[in-house]
Parts: sequence; C-alpha cells; structure tokens
Amino acid sequence: MARWSMVIDLDRCTGCQACVVACQVENNVPPAGADQAAAGRTISWMRLAPFQNGEHGTRPDLKLVPIPCMHCDHPPCIKVCPVKATQIGEEGLVAQVYPRCIGCRYCTTACPYTVRQFNWRRPEWPQPMERGLSPDVSVRPRGVVEKCSFCHHRLQRAKDKVSAENRPLREGDYVPACVESCPAEAMVFGDLDDPRSNVTRLSQSPRAFRLLEELGTEPKVIYLSKGEWGGEV
Amino acid sequence: MNARDEQKSAVPEAGPTHKWHHPGRWGAVIIGFLAFTVISATAAVTLQDRIFRRPVEQPIKFNHKLHVEDNQLGCSTCHEYYEKETFSGLPDPDVCAFCHSEKQGDSEEEARLVKMIADGEALEWKSLFRQPPHVFYSHRRHVLVAKLECKTCHGDIASTTAPPTRVTKLRMQDCIDCHHQKNVSTDCTTCHR
Ligand code: HEC
Ligand code: HEC
Ligand code: HEC
Ligand code: HEC
Ligand code: HEC
Repeated sequence: MARWSMVIDLDRCTGCQACVVACQVENNVPPAGADQAAAGRTISWMRLAPFQNGEHGTRPDLKLVPIPCMHCDHPPCIKVCPVKATQIGEEGLVAQVYPRCIGCRYCTTACPYTVRQFNWRRPEWPQPMERGLSPDVSVRPRGVVEKCSFCHHRLQRAKDKVSAENRPLREGDYVPACVESCPAEAMVFGDLDDPRSNVTRLSQSPRAFRLLEELGTEPKVIYLSKGEWGGEV
Repeated sequence: MNARDEQKSAVPEAGPTHKWHHPGRWGAVIIGFLAFTVISATAAVTLQDRIFRRPVEQPIKFNHKLHVEDNQLGCSTCHEYYEKETFSGLPDPDVCAFCHSEKQGDSEEEARLVKMIADGEALEWKSLFRQPPHVFYSHRRHVLVAKLECKTCHGDIASTTAPPTRVTKLRMQDCIDCHHQKNVSTDCTTCHR
C-alpha cells in the first residue's frame, strides 16, 4: 500500500508562487474578491509563509516556504471532527468529504499548520472563468471546510488509467498540480513506502526536516534545507 | 428551618404539573397538528421527486427493447465509451442516421427522427442516470476491468420501451455494499472528490 508524500527543497525554491496558482486553477478554488480578502477570508490550498533563515544579527535572509496540507500520519484534525467528515485513508491521504462537513470548524482550529479554510460565501467566479472549472473536483458549497487534497482526484484518474492498461501504478503516474508546475523542480512527489522512490531517498537526506515535528503529527510533507532556521515572521 | 427551606415550602404542592395528565382540547389540537406535520413531511421527503419534479422528456422517445432485443444491437453501438472512458456517452444523430436516414417503419416518432436528421438537428439527450459532482465513478473500471454487466447497476433498461422520466442514481450504500463484497477500497477518497 502506498503512503503518499511530498518533498519540498527550500534550497531550490525561488518563491515564485507557480505552485500557488497551479493549485488554485486545478482545484477550482474561487478568487476571494477585495472585500473577502480584507476580512482575511481568502482561500488558498497552498500558501507561502515567510520564514527567517539564519541567526539573529546576521543579514536577514527571508525564505518563502510553500505550505500545503501535511497529510499527517496522526492528523489532529480528524480527532476533533464530530461527524467524521475528515478521515485518513489507507494510503495516508487525509480526506475532506464536503457533503458530510457541517462547518463547525473544529478542524481549522485543531490544525497546527493552519491549512484548513472555511467557505464563508457561495463561491463565485468572474463570468468566462466559470466555464473553465475542472469537472474532476467538486465545487465546495458555502459553509464547509476545505484544504489541500494532494490532488487526490489525480490519483483516482491515474488508478483508473493504469487498471485499464492492466499494469501497476508507477512513479510519476500520480503527481499533484503544484509539483508538476514547479519550474525550479523544487518539489518531488511519491510513495514513502517504496524504498526506491525519490521521496524515500530524499527523506533520508541530512537536509530533511518536517514542520512542528515535536507535536507528533508525523507530517508527510518533508522539507529540505541546509540553513539554520529562525521562526515564522 | 432556614430561610431557603421556608421559601420552598411556600410553593404550592403539585403545582401546574397535573395539567399534563389532561391535555384538554388545545392539547389535542396541538398533538393533531404535530402528527399532521410529521406525516406530511415524511410524505414530502419520500415522494419529493414525484411531487416536485416534472417528468423529463427526451427529444425522441427512444425504445431500448426494440433496438437491443428485437434488432440485436450491442450497447456499444450507441454508448461508445464505457470500455475506454469513465463515462458511457449518449449517441449522436449520426449513429441513428446509419439506419434512420430513411424510414424503416411507419411510427410517427420515427418519422420525426428522420426529419430531424434530414434537418441536421442535434439530439440533446438529457442524462438521467447520474451521480452528484462530488462522486468519481468510472465505467471502464467496472465494465472493462471488473467485468460487471450493465444490468447490475442499470437494471432492466434494455427491455424498456420508453425512456426513463426521472433521475435515477445509485445510493452510496449500493456502491459500498458491492465494494465490501468484492473487497474493494471503501476509503472516502476512493469515490469522493
Ligand atoms: C440504438 C442505440 C442504443 C442502444 C443499442 C442502446 N442504447 Fe441505451 N440509450 C440510447 C439513447 C438514445 C438513450 C437516451 C434516451 C433514453 O434514456 O432512452 C439511452 C439511454 C440509456 C441509459 C440511461 C442513461 C441516462 O443517463 O439517462 C442507460 C443506462 C442505457 N441507455 C443503457 C443501455 C444498455 C445497457 C444497452 C445495451 C443493453 C443500451 N443502452 C443500448 C440509445 C441506445
Ligand atoms: C442498426 C440500425 C438502427 C440504428 C443504429 C438505430 N435504429 Fe432506430 N430502429 C431500427 C429499426 C430496424 C426500427 C424498427 C422500425 C419498425 O419496424 O418500425 C427502429 C425503430 C425506431 C423508432 C420507432 C420506435 C417505435 O417504438 O416504433 C425510433 C423512435 C427509433 N428507432 C429511434 C432511434 C434513435 C434515436 C437512434 C439513434 C440513437 C436509432 N433509432 C438507431 C434500427 C436502428
Ligand atoms: C457498477 C455500476 C455500473 C455498471 C456496471 C454500469 N454502469 Fe452505467 N452508470 C453507472 C453510474 C454510477 C452512472 C452515473 C455516472 C455519473 O454520473 O458520472 C452511469 C451512467 C451511465 C450512462 C449515462 C451517461 C454517461 O455518459 O455515462 C449510460 C449511457 C450508461 N451508464 C450505460 C452503461 C452501459 C451500456 C453499461 C454496460 C456496458 C453500464 N452503464 C454499466 C453505473 C454503472
Ligand atoms: C456490483 C459491484 C459494484 C458496484 C455496485 C460498484 N462498484 Fe466500484 N468497483 C467494483 C469492483 C469489483 C472494483 C474493482 C475493479 C478492479 O478490479 O480494479 C471497483 C472499483 C471502484 C473504484 C476504483 C477503486 C480503486 O481502488 O481504485 C471506484 C472509484 C469505484 N469502484 C467507485 C464506485 C462508485 C462511485 C460506485 C457507485 C456509484 C460503485 N463503485 C459501485 C464493484 C462495484
Ligand atoms: C464506493 C464509493 C463511495 C465511498 C467509498 C464513499 N462514498 Fe459517500 N457517496 C457515494 C455516492 C455514489 C454518493 C451519492 C449518493 C447519492 O447522491 O444518493 C455519496 C454520498 C455521500 C454523502 C451524502 C451526500 C448527500 O448529498 O446526501 C455523504 C455525507 C458521504 N457520501 C460521505 C462519505 C464518507 C464520509 C465516506 C468515507 C467513509 C464515503 N462517503 C465513502 C459513494 C461513496
């Protein structure tokens, strides 16, 4: 059974935000509009958080760190969901089942990475964009929580394709939109249970670390960096 | 006896509670009304499709039995994609034109079809068998890979003589029951998106 994981190499990442845009388009994430943005209600499944790299007193070196859902092996969000609308699957993906969600937002509070967002409004797109929505991802109604899914609709498609070709899933068959879009090739995606996969190899690098590891959430997004780390700015 | 006990004993015994044992006329009216509400709400929920939705009309009253059973056409003549894609597809007029560019019999419905084909009109079939957009379903996975028969899920559509008029869908329980039986994944992410 696969255990899907993403590696983000911060030494390669230029902070260009191609992943942010690719994600927005791929997953039918609606633009917030000026008033919602002012109220802090934008939705973004992939955001860049500014971190300070290096010791205090030295020349400040800002790093923009891409933060998707960590798809933790021990996700704090699923423990607080009163209706089991968020669950971890056999392959380690943390699912958000929109028709089940009642919008209580316990999970948005429980997530230490703050990647969960609430739909305060019915989503709307400027006119011609509505026709460009992807049919592979359902549009979330008002009143439910959403978050990065590791583009699991791409996994559904990939499994469907390889089953018709009568072959097993191979590395590269399933890759989320952000990883695919990264021009610096700073992101790698694959199966952490496959000893020969790129993510497994990279996860053993001395540069590898995870965010808030001390909480015991066992995130499956792994960062690579040779720098020393200060806090989030 | 302290002040609080004194206060308590000043309250008359049995108070208004005895009224509950005798609902009286108003009570009966309220209970009747509640019963009426519950019954009509249940009826509305179970029959909502029949009460609130009009039957859907297709551009042509297509007859599956006549084509499939009497004329031995395979399903893939008209539903081309179930072995290649997630969907099955509904037929273009060219498919019908193969036989109906000229009249085959003397039914009025067929005459109408022949005229539509001659005028180059599109046949806009309404798909009535569908899942909500948050569900991923694949025909090739179930038909080509799992080798299931159409009638397992679509029932006896092949021997119907007129198109269905209402939306039909598989309930989640139908999908899950079979997945359990055949040992297929029932993770939420398997089907939901
Ligand atoms: C000659 C063409 C033709 C053949 C052969 C045919 N169909 Fe159809 N089918 C249609 C048309 C046209 C419709 C749309 C109108 C309707 O619902 O009757 C349809 C509709 C359907 C629907 C309902 C789809 C929906 O979304 O409403 C199902 C299910 C279906 N067919 C199954 C089958 C199966 C199973 C077979 C083989 C046993 C078959 N069909 C053979 C033409 C055909
Ligand atoms: C392989 C040939 C073939 C194809 C393809 C075909 N039909 Fe027919 N169709 C027939 C025959 C044969 C009859 C019977 C004519 C008769 O005896 O009345 C018929 C009859 C009909 C009738 C009259 C039905 C009735 O109940 O009397 C309709 C309507 C019709 N077809 C619609 C369609 C439509 C719509 C399509 C395309 C989706 C289609 N047919 C495709 C062969 C075909
Ligand atoms: C395991 C259950 C299952 C089996 C087996 C199955 N279907 Fe379906 N079919 C569905 C579901 C579910 C939908 C609705 C799909 C959706 O809305 O995305 C559907 C939709 C359809 C439609 C509507 C339009 C479309 O483009 O998909 C047609 C036509 C159809 N099926 C034909 C067939 C035929 C022909 C077969 C046999 C070769 C078949 N189906 C076998 C479950 C099944
Ligand atoms: C009659 C049995 C049956 C029914 C009903 C059924 N399925 Fe399946 N389904 C299967 C089988 C068998 C497989 C495994 C196919 C294979 O061998 O790969 C499968 C596989 C799948 C897969 C791929 C699973 C994976 O691990 O990649 C999806 C998605 C799926 N079904 C969705 C649905 C949905 C949605 C419905 C209801 C609308 C449904 N199925 C109804 C039998 C069924
Ligand atoms: C095998 C496929 C399958 C799996 C696995 C599955 N579902 Fe579903 N689910 C469906 C289908 C199909 C529907 C749509 C049924 C309908 O519209 O009646 C649905 C509908 C629902 C609905 C109701 C939506 C509504 O509008 O009434 C909820 C809630 C739901 N699913 C939650 C879940 C949760 C939580 C899980 C994981 C434990 C899950 N589902 C796993 C196929 C599946």
